[in-house]
Amino acid sequence: MAALALLPAAGEAIYFRDKISWRSAIAPSEMITVEQARGWGDTAIWVDARPDDEFASDHVPGAISLNEDRWNELLPPFLAVWVPGKKIVVYCSSLSCNASREVARRLRKEAQLSDVFVLEGGWEAWLKKNR
Amino acid sequence: MNQTPNVQLPTSNAELSAGASTSNTKRRVLSIFWRILDFVLAGTFIYAGVVKAIDPVQFASDIDNFKILPWPVSVALAFYLPWLEILCALGLLFRVLYRGALSILTASIVIFTLAITAAKVRGLDITCGCFGHASQHWSFPSHLATNLAILAALLVLGFSNRSRKPF
Repeated sequence: MAALALLPAAGEAIYFRDKISWRSAIAPSEMITVEQARGWGDTAIWVDARPDDEFASDHVPGAISLNEDRWNELLPPFLAVWVPGKKIVVYCSSLSCNASREVARRLRKEAQLSDVFVLEGGWEAWLKKNR
Repeated sequence: MNQTPNVQLPTSNAELSAGASTSNTKRRVLSIFWRILDFVLAGTFIYAGVVKAIDPVQFASDIDNFKILPWPVSVALAFYLPWLEILCALGLLFRVLYRGALSILTASIVIFTLAITAAKVRGLDITCGCFGHASQHWSFPSHLATNLAILAALLVLGFSNRSRKPF
């Protein structure tokens, strides 16, 4: 039975080969470095996926708070600011956090937005490059 | 001569017969109960397997959130585990490789329960992904209670003798 389950699993892995990367949790096309994101200038909206207290203590200048804890509350103000054609850069605390990935996924899936990117290294990487 | 009076024999036989009949009825009722439990568990695991098989990307992310396994292993498990659950559930349903299916499902629920408990102890606020998006907003106690109830049902089936006999 355990061996039999390998067959449909292999078939599914082939079917989903373009939708999931075996190397990284985030598809390379969805990752962005601090330098690349800064290069976009005003054409990018920064989204802070960290909890409220961390956002309140400090954040990327101009960033909008949008975390999963208050998703329903924070999404409408974010959508009011967003304009079509603008790129969205989502970040969380560090390289190991998942919040930015989840927020980016929900923005694509639930808000039907495209051009959503996850900042590589998150807030820690931004701090290193800017302070 | 120590003979049993003949007059008592029919009564004894009748009592024995009644006792056997009661015992048969009891066994029959128990068998129906076990079979219902098979169906409930099979349905639960088929549902859990299908919702995860439909969205392996999300399930890989859920496994990765536990911070126990490297990403490639999470991806491999996201493709494999849902189908293993579905096949084992079908094993329960159709009584094919019954004890093997029970053992695999028991092991998987034990591992899931330990993983969500370890995540809670480590302070990770995550979704276990056991039932796909349906369980996304479940609290830790709800997850734990559901898993323990399923585990208890699996163990009851595993330790009941009827699992070695055809229904």
